[in-house]
Amino acid sequence: MKLFNTKRTSLKKLTPDQIAVDIESLSVRLNQKKVLKKISMRIPAFSITSVIGQSGCGKTTLLNAMNRMNEIIPDHQTTGQIWMDGRDINQRRENVSNLRTNVGMVFQRPNPFPMSIYDNVSFGLKLQNKNNRRQLDDAVERALINAALWDEVKQRLHEPAGILSGGQQQRLMIARALALKPKILLLDEPTSALDPLATLFIEELMQSLKKHTTIVMVTHNMQQAARISDYTAFIHKGELVEFTNSDKLFTNPKRKQTEDYITGRYG
Amino acid sequence: MPHIEFNTHISGSFNRELQDLRNAVLVMGGEIEQQLLNTLKAMQFNDASLAEKVVLNDVKINGLEIEIDQECLRILATRNPTASDLRLVVTVSKTITDIERMGDEIERVAKLITKGTFQIDEQIKLNTIALGEEIVKMMQKTFDAYARQDVSAALKVYEHDTIIDAKYQHILLLLKERIQQDLTYLDQWLDIMSALRALERIGDRCKNLCEYIIYLAGGQDVRHTNAKKIQKKIKALILA
Repeated sequence: MKLFNTKRTSLKKLTPDQIAVDIESLSVRLNQKKVLKKISMRIPAFSITSVIGQSGCGKTTLLNAMNRMNEIIPDHQTTGQIWMDGRDINQRRENVSNLRTNVGMVFQRPNPFPMSIYDNVSFGLKLQNKNNRRQLDDAVERALINAALWDEVKQRLHEPAGILSGGQQQRLMIARALALKPKILLLDEPTSALDPLATLFIEELMQSLKKHTTIVMVTHNMQQAARISDYTAFIHKGELVEFTNSDKLFTNPKRKQTEDYITGRYG
Repeated sequence: MPHIEFNTHISGSFNRELQDLRNAVLVMGGEIEQQLLNTLKAMQFNDASLAEKVVLNDVKINGLEIEIDQECLRILATRNPTASDLRLVVTVSKTITDIERMGDEIERVAKLITKGTFQIDEQIKLNTIALGEEIVKMMQKTFDAYARQDVSAALKVYEHDTIIDAKYQHILLLLKERIQQDLTYLDQWLDIMSALRALERIGDRCKNLCEYIIYLAGGQDVRHTNAKKIQKKIKALILA
């Protein structure tokens, strides 16, 4: 008899086709400082994985490594492999532009371009030379529907994106990323600048997005990680301390460091 | 008094989790009710194999308790519930403990049936079955009140316990008479006494569940309070 539908597949029991990102011995050095130290983790597909840890522990660097955003920092060095779809994305021959299409990213503060709502969503598609009006209209509508924003903006698609509220702007950013149909969506503290209600809407949106997208999220809000993520990784000083099902991590963590961090006994 | 709605959160998944938790208690309640019905049937027809089945099935009840309790723990850790949601989770955790204990009491009676204990006196057996049937009614009303979070219904169940107590006392008198007349079957009489006590305890557990329902629906803690005071508190709740 199955009473509850909240059990997650154990990370140890994942089959190869259930793994979206396979990180092996990833080390990142930024400005002569070792930020990530030999991180190995397998991120399950079609689920929400949260990365938690203190400020400066390397969470965002880990997220950035998944679409090679660390490369915009002049003094950077990455070693180790990140496998996606059977390819190591750290290889020189990897097409970074394609990679960033497949691995979308949304940042802490919504950063709409100073243009209309429609143009914000279609921006990435136009960059890819997809200029067919009907296809663009369809793609914008689909992205806005998936980002749970369509009903709120369908009458004013050509108004400036800046008129939207903070929560709406963040959903617009998600729509902008979704327009490119990414397989993986990276969210860097997506709700830290939002009020509790807007946060709940984004969280609910993430729950529906995970049906066809793998979501990796960095958050400072442990309660949020517990509430919505299927799996949680705890990083401390660049090292992966524990990575397991969120239920296990928040009810019975294996490592003392994790226990101390999530119970607020740290430092 | 406002009726608590569990399906009004912005988070649809949280709604489902709370709803599933509530339903899980009813599933466990249904199992325990069936266990008691089977026990009474086994007693009536001296069916040792059915009684054996009840004893074996208690493992299932224990498993349900663990599963539901783990879900309560998970929700507490991950959802940080507050107000009526918190009351629901805490109440469910306590409720399933009581239901599991009811299962243990039923198992105790079923084990005695497998030994043929109740075959020595037909009148006592029939009276015990009548007591058991009264407890089944009380149990059904308790889970109905739980499903509807009906404070008034919970109070009625609370009062039902006086009927159980009266029947229990009546059988105890019969038992005393038998013991005074003939000490040959003393071991069996003592076993029957423990079975009666177990059944009566199920009634008490139903009362506990009603206290939890009152706490869940009205936020009033009525534990260790006499029936009159509970009645007063509930009237105040209904009028509020």
